[in-house]
Amino acid sequence: MARSITGYFFILPAMIVLALLIAYPLVYTVYLSLTNSAGALTDRNFINVMRPAATAISFVNLIYWVGASVVFEVVLGTAAAILLNQKFPGRGFVRSVTLIPWVVPSIVAATTWAWMFHTEFGIINYMLSGAGLVRQPVGWLTDIHLVMGVMVAINVWKLFPFVAVMVLAALQAIPDELYEAAKIDGANFWDETLYVTLPQVRTVLIAVTLLLVIWGLNSITLIYAITQGGPANATLITPILIFRLAFQSFQFNQAAALSVVFFAVTAVIVAIYMRISRAGEVA
Amino acid sequence: MNRISKSLVFATASAVVTLLPTLAMAGQITWWTPNWGEQRARKLAADFEKANPDITINIEVTTSQGLPERVLTALQSGAAPDIIEVQHAWVQGYAQSDLVQPVDDLLKDSSDYNKAALNYVTYQDHLYGVPYRVECIGLLYNRDDFTKAGLDPDKPPQTWNDWTADAKALTRDGVFGMAITAGGEVGNTITRALPLIWMNGGDIISADGKTATINTPQAVAAVKYYTDFFTNGYSPDSTLQNDGVANRQLFIAGKVAMYQSGQFDIAPIQQGAPNLKLGATPLPHPEGKSSACILSGWSYVIPKDAKNPTDAKKFIQFLNTTDNDAYFTDTFPARISSLQAQRFQDPLLKPFGAALADGRPAPNNPHWVQISQAFFDGIQRILTKQQDVQTSMNQTNDDIQSLLDQ
Amino acid sequence: MKKPSPLRLTIVAVCSIVLVVVCLFPFAWMALSSVKKLDELYTVPPHWLPSAPTLDHYATVLFNSNIPRYFLNSIVIAVGSTGLSLILAIFAAYGFARFDFPGKAAFQSFVLVGQLLPTAAVIVPLFITLRWLHLVNTYWGLILVYMIITLPLSVWMLTSYLRGIPVELEEAARIDGASRLGILFRIVVPLSLPGIVAVVVYAFVTTWNEFIFALCFATDSSVKTLPIGLAEFSTEFNTDWGGVMAASLVMTVPIVLLFLAFQRLFVGGLTAGATKG
Repeated sequence: MARSITGYFFILPAMIVLALLIAYPLVYTVYLSLTNSAGALTDRNFINVMRPAATAISFVNLIYWVGASVVFEVVLGTAAAILLNQKFPGRGFVRSVTLIPWVVPSIVAATTWAWMFHTEFGIINYMLSGAGLVRQPVGWLTDIHLVMGVMVAINVWKLFPFVAVMVLAALQAIPDELYEAAKIDGANFWDETLYVTLPQVRTVLIAVTLLLVIWGLNSITLIYAITQGGPANATLITPILIFRLAFQSFQFNQAAALSVVFFAVTAVIVAIYMRISRAGEVA
Repeated sequence: MNRISKSLVFATASAVVTLLPTLAMAGQITWWTPNWGEQRARKLAADFEKANPDITINIEVTTSQGLPERVLTALQSGAAPDIIEVQHAWVQGYAQSDLVQPVDDLLKDSSDYNKAALNYVTYQDHLYGVPYRVECIGLLYNRDDFTKAGLDPDKPPQTWNDWTADAKALTRDGVFGMAITAGGEVGNTITRALPLIWMNGGDIISADGKTATINTPQAVAAVKYYTDFFTNGYSPDSTLQNDGVANRQLFIAGKVAMYQSGQFDIAPIQQGAPNLKLGATPLPHPEGKSSACILSGWSYVIPKDAKNPTDAKKFIQFLNTTDNDAYFTDTFPARISSLQAQRFQDPLLKPFGAALADGRPAPNNPHWVQISQAFFDGIQRILTKQQDVQTSMNQTNDDIQSLLDQ
Repeated sequence: MKKPSPLRLTIVAVCSIVLVVVCLFPFAWMALSSVKKLDELYTVPPHWLPSAPTLDHYATVLFNSNIPRYFLNSIVIAVGSTGLSLILAIFAAYGFARFDFPGKAAFQSFVLVGQLLPTAAVIVPLFITLRWLHLVNTYWGLILVYMIITLPLSVWMLTSYLRGIPVELEEAARIDGASRLGILFRIVVPLSLPGIVAVVVYAFVTTWNEFIFALCFATDSSVKTLPIGLAEFSTEFNTDWGGVMAASLVMTVPIVLLFLAFQRLFVGGLTAGATKG
């Protein structure tokens, strides 16, 4: 790696654009969070926003939401990428179909899934009871023990193609010689995957996982469109609380305060993550 | 918004205005109107332009999805149109945050307006919106289902005892007797459950807005009455994910015999199930008490940063003449004199018109949205069997009280 | 080349079928709904196939709605923002991947910061910024604003793709006297084509489907995008579901077909032989 200030020139255009777009919102948000609606400095926003039980619940749900989603997105996405990397007839078709969940507009995907999981109208309950697998309609989205799992499943469905495409691109850079050398050493498919494929895509996998975590921490569309955070806050996550405060309750200062807390927490998570991944990375 | 930040916005806005040739001069009005009234809006705009050749009206059609966010963003960034149509309940928040202009001069004839609607748009003794549309919900029912259950379709339930008995009788053969909502946007359930509390003599918060009163015996009894429809099995299994629209769809599909809704469902029902014999009645009330209803509807507001408020006010006066108000509204007009128009004499609309008289505004409290969210969460806790009615309402009471104490 | 074993083919076939079914199932439901008459959409129990398929919804979408106009706008904005992000990101990623300079880690973290801010916190200040730049309700305004969504990820992902390319190739070229820019465009970019395609797909899809920024920053139909067109099928209490489904297909299928063409670029072994000798 060259130690050189040439690096600055390469990154400069992108940094300028980002700074232009990010600087003002950052300042604006921090400012709002520390003042009340009359403009006076106060810390009441933080107190008022952290006090309700819903705030704590939303953070707990958020951890579950992000954790479960990311694990399955990465595992299924990588598995799909490995599959799509194999040579077989019709590969182009399968690759394109895999993209569909990601490309379908979120709102439409959300309402379609909500419809399919509907206790009365839904095709899923219809098929399950038709096949004799359940006796009573399952409350996929009304049972508080099932709903978060269902939402995670929908989220994974929506995002695993992103992982698949990103990892597939990384798989292209693996030189064939490495596989050939492994075969000469008597490796089978699993050995190939574990000792050749995965290590080569490590960097990309780490980057993808980090991005999925960040997105998960910020996602509202799916949950907001399907359950609005319910029932009884079973699927309430912090970004939805922020959204409600800012756009429905006119509590801009509190929304800003919660955004600041949220930002701090996610920044810490990201920093820890980067420290861990840096530790394993070769310079 | 606080003063410093406002001056920042104002400085920015005026910089933009002076640096650019102003696009909206006197003589141009930008009107944000929702897509469901677009054709009527265009006709009225054309009529006005003919009568006022020096004024042009730019119509920008809005959608219901994302509307509150879009309006709020426009109001806060200083890039707002001249007239926006918003729901009554949003006006309080705008007035408090100093985002809309007072319009007292447009409502000199306020005695011709629905009182509850005026209440919504009043803030600190000034009026900040011009109501043009009001509605109340009633009870819609399937007359054939009544006959099949041995009930008289011309005698829909009037009291709570009748309501429960009918719901029970109608729950048969794969049909649910009475569908309530406990899913979707919070407003659906507030509109359906809060009136029951009022009918029973209770309220969500005290009149002075300082105390939460949702756990009083009258309120709790009413909440129990509402949730019992689901607890006793008269409301569909999917209740926790259903809003008013879902219930309408279930009604059209023949899975539900009765449900609460407004007159705006009549047309979709007639279209979706032309053979369904529809009946309507005002919401039943407890024995010996009278009915009540939450008034909903829409108003015109003029943003603080509107470029052409003078012409905008002129246009609103035109829009809200007795005839035009009767023409433009989707449901009922806010003007009392407009109610005489021909289109409101339809017999199916009679129960809804009657309900208007019992219409009350939602409480004018700065924390109303969060209060209704707390109430809605409480109902969901009951229906998910996490808490019984009294415990849930006690918790809701605490949540609301801490909001009021802020 | 050795022929793959029958066992391998069977496993691949089974997995592919499962993958296709999982991805297509809701989409198939959407497609079927787009040709059903309105009264068939909400039956209990649900109907799989339409009894009288109709193309009315597509006729509405193509001839009676704003969708065609919004389609054009979406293309302009998505192509513009993808192109701009790509250029900026290629440069930035190369800088991060090949150079070491003071504060590098800080800059890399800064890139991610934009992704951490909640939309609700960002939207009003962004609108104010756009007004200050006189870019409200313009193509360039939206293209610029979408940078906040596409740029961080593009930089981040491209950096990791570029790191995967062996440095030796570039060093050989340096010895031969090639300039940094020359290396970047003649060696690095061709080798990182799959990564670039992946980033292009991401940026394009994200801007194509983005709703709330478009809703707030595009105030008339000269600039409005497809997701807003979708929202226009809903009125206050009613949604034309047939129309929404048909419009969704119109929104989704072109991109999938485009990807079908591009995915040819995902061929392995681009860096084969790089480390030999």
